[in-house]
Amino acid sequence: MSAEYQPNIVAFLCNWCSYAGADLAGTSRTNYPSNLNVIRVMCSGRVNPLFVVNALQQGADGVLVSGCHPGDCHYMEGNFYARRRFGMMKELLEYVGVEPGRFNMSWVSASEGAKWKDVVGEVVDKAKEAGPFKQFRRDKINW
Amino acid sequence: MVDVAKLKEIARETVSRDDVKYLIGWRQGTFGFRAAPHFVNKPEDVDQLIFSPLCSHNLATYLTGVEKLPVPRGQEADSRKVALMVKGCDSRAVVLQLVEQGYGRDSVVVIGCPCQGVVDQKKVEAKYPDMGENITAEWGEKTIIFNLPSGKTEVPREEVLAGKCLTCRYPNPLLADAGAWEEVAVWGSDDYADVQDLEAGNPQERRAFWEDKFASCIRCYACRNVCPMCYCEDCILDRLNPQWITRAVNPTENTAFHLSRAFHLAGRCIECGECERVCPVDIPLMKLNRKLTKEVRENYDYEPGLDPEAKPLQASYRPNDKEDFIL
Ligand code: SF4
Ligand code: SF4
Ligand code: SF4
Repeated sequence: MSAEYQPNIVAFLCNWCSYAGADLAGTSRTNYPSNLNVIRVMCSGRVNPLFVVNALQQGADGVLVSGCHPGDCHYMEGNFYARRRFGMMKELLEYVGVEPGRFNMSWVSASEGAKWKDVVGEVVDKAKEAGPFKQFRRDKINW
Repeated sequence: MVDVAKLKEIARETVSRDDVKYLIGWRQGTFGFRAAPHFVNKPEDVDQLIFSPLCSHNLATYLTGVEKLPVPRGQEADSRKVALMVKGCDSRAVVLQLVEQGYGRDSVVVIGCPCQGVVDQKKVEAKYPDMGENITAEWGEKTIIFNLPSGKTEVPREEVLAGKCLTCRYPNPLLADAGAWEEVAVWGSDDYADVQDLEAGNPQERRAFWEDKFASCIRCYACRNVCPMCYCEDCILDRLNPQWITRAVNPTENTAFHLSRAFHLAGRCIECGECERVCPVDIPLMKLNRKLTKEVRENYDYEPGLDPEAKPLQASYRPNDKEDFIL
């Protein structure tokens, strides 16, 4: 057991870009931290902002939402809606005192395996800095 | 300025119309500085209507609250209109409900009442405690006049107006089919000082502030029920599958509830202040709502309920929306 604190991060990746980008990072044998629990969704626009709140409640120390670059969305405009929603959600979370590093959003395309590595590194570093999330975590999961 | 006599005349004409089911306005309450919602079904009920600084209720919430019962076979659905008296802020709720297609434009008759600000119950009750009998009030020149048992008392309006009215930028109805009025001059401006105060602190301070507030919430959902913009038939707070937020009243679930409620009103809250008014434990809900209102105004140049043609904020986007937070 390593003494260093390892944050638990939930990542919602869109099927068409970010998931493929993460896959590329894997098939290219890129080394990057393994703190992410990836959930594949069809589009970043499918991610309900309440997923973020719920993930934090149920044990996440950080949340990442990642989608295609603007203009590249498989469904034309899903990531534009996501951008508005999460821009507001991030502000709201920070306003009630959640550390800025806990919620992140990124654009990673299918060919950006290297960028994916950088994004994960940054997200993990920020979550480590913020420390274990206690603010509104449920004491009993699935009670 | 509203001419109440003329307003009653308009109300009488409106309820007498065959295509109007009833009119919703305000009447004097039964104790203290209270008014009450008034449902006018018959022309003679019009006499009790008032329009005074006590009329805080945003009646637009009733428009979406009507239960839609199934129509028995062989009968026709009642397609008559509902008439509604609105202040400036209330009219924004109606505009937004129409934008969101909560109901059709032809199912409502809006009677505009330009507003000079309503009183905050907590402020007047602190000023005149233990007022048993019902007090009437009227607007003066930059003052509120209370008809106390000891005689007429004139109070500068800054002392008793609700917070939302001190910063009100839209006191004149933005939508009205009828009204007996001249527009009132806009007195307020809004710099979101209350939100900025809190933003200036560090995350720990903000967390401590909200933890303390959220901990006292009893989850009565009065804030949701009174809100004119909270009208989903299937609210996530009532849902069991998926159960987003458990029913336990504890800091965790309360925080999740408050984040959900505030977020569901992002770009939709028209700042009528009703949620904060009805909260039995005085949670400063406007401080939470207004954070998002501020973001929406600054980043997306959008204010809900102003333009009947504008698309809802979260159902639209601009290619150049802010994205400085994205890695
Ligand atoms: S916010 Fe404006 S329109 Fe609404 S009650 Fe106050 S002064 Fe009147
Ligand atoms: S009205 Fe107040 S106590 Fe009731 S649920 Fe809303 S915030 Fe909580
Ligand atoms: S959240 Fe509060 S201020 Fe905003 S529309 Fe609803 S009741 Fe009015």
